[in-house]
Amino acid sequence: MIIDPISIALITLGGVLIGLGVHFIPVGGAPAAMAQATGVGTGTVQLAAGAGLTGLISAGFMYNFLATAPGGFGTSDFILVLASGAVGAMIMITVTMFIGQLVYVYCVGVPPVSAKVDKDPITGDRQDIYVSQGTEGHGVPTVSFVSGTIGGLFAGVGGSMVYVQLMQIGNAPADPAIVALAGIFATGVFYVNAVLASYNIGGTIEGFHDPKFKRVPKAIISCLIASLLCAIIAVPIMGGVS
Amino acid sequence: MSAVEGGPASGGLPPNTIIAIGVIGGLAGIYLTMLNQTFNTQIFSVMGGIGSIFAVVWGADAVRRVCSYGLGTGVPSIGMVALGMGVVAAIFGLIIPETGILPIPTILGPVISFIVAALIGLVIGVMSNKILKMNIPIMEKSMIEIAGAGSLVLMGLSASIAGSFAFNDAILPGVVSTGYIAIVFIGGAMTILHPFNANLGPDETQYRTLYVAIEKAALIMVIAGFASLTVIDAVSAAVTMLVGLLIFLVYFNKFMKSVHREAYKVVGTGLLPSAEELE
Repeated sequence: MIIDPISIALITLGGVLIGLGVHFIPVGGAPAAMAQATGVGTGTVQLAAGAGLTGLISAGFMYNFLATAPGGFGTSDFILVLASGAVGAMIMITVTMFIGQLVYVYCVGVPPVSAKVDKDPITGDRQDIYVSQGTEGHGVPTVSFVSGTIGGLFAGVGGSMVYVQLMQIGNAPADPAIVALAGIFATGVFYVNAVLASYNIGGTIEGFHDPKFKRVPKAIISCLIASLLCAIIAVPIMGGVS
Repeated sequence: MSAVEGGPASGGLPPNTIIAIGVIGGLAGIYLTMLNQTFNTQIFSVMGGIGSIFAVVWGADAVRRVCSYGLGTGVPSIGMVALGMGVVAAIFGLIIPETGILPIPTILGPVISFIVAALIGLVIGVMSNKILKMNIPIMEKSMIEIAGAGSLVLMGLSASIAGSFAFNDAILPGVVSTGYIAIVFIGGAMTILHPFNANLGPDETQYRTLYVAIEKAALIMVIAGFASLTVIDAVSAAVTMLVGLLIFLVYFNKFMKSVHREAYKVVGTGLLPSAEELE
């Protein structure tokens, strides 16, 4: 069967999870690089790609370990690979946010604060009085940090789901050609979804407490269509090589 | 990160001329690598790199036109999505004739890739405007162009590394298995996104942006030549590197001259003063 509906559905789901995960990550863009907006001071694509590719590497390592082991690759192994990818992406994004936070607090000298809410939804701390005049918050407040970690979870699971599914169709876990092809396809699908999601949030977002987060349904529809298209193209290729 | 908010880009060569240069030059470069098989050599691999330069010029110009409207997310995003769409389409187009699922001759591979890339670009462009409400009037057209250019860049550089665009015989063992596809992916995206990202601003001009595009594409061509040392023979790799280096030097000089001409003043600041000098 060259076009497998279950694989296509899972790759599409992976793409949608990537698009959803991007919305949780506190992206500050260029304003945040000057400590004038809440979040990490770089673009969505760079942040999502950094975390996503790390997740891909940890998922790939786990997949290679489990799939080449005796006994084959079962459902519980599938979940282990997804967990591995999620943890990889979460570690990467939390480390980025933490080091960024150190720079904001000890080098720039601003308190981590959100300008979108008056009280931090998690700690309940007052936010509005700490926002410097003329800025839209700065640093990575607790709620954004938690939100970013959730984003890493979704994006990591999504990216590894795409990768594992492509590897399963290729059906040769030790063949470098299949590994490279699945890896580059997963990267391609990852970038397409991450960029669509970043177009949806228009550059900057603080996390799930940001009013822009309500735009998520539109991104999910777009990512669904784009990932479905990529999956329909990618599945016959992986089937054709093996 | 920030693009200039504003209207359509103006000046320089009209878009249709650039599109023609990109499509014809890019496809011609990829197809000219077939001379390798005709003459039983690898020396014509350089044509793939030259084809990719034409495609980069087209891609960079399309990025310039769409980003003049202001995307809100920075120019790099659109370069990465170009190669994201391009890599899926390029590999699909090159592999489909070889699997024998559809009765298509292998020679049509690059053309199929190009058409598939344009289709993906169209879908993403329509979604950006209709669902995500980006409201950029040329979004659909630009996404088609950017995806098409991305797939041509990817195929051109791959063909110049592997010496042929045949997927199972050349690109799979030479570019994909070796991992050079990652260099082609990121390097190709850089060539498309960097020229406008480096030049954007109120005094941006088309020819200066395109000088950077040619110069960056030539640099990636040198890297592709270096990568092909392990895939094809050393003489052909050296030809690709030398031609790339030559184009780089010529266009880097042109770029520097235009910067010096158009800047109000170019001054050297010297090195940072040492502790003694500050006292």
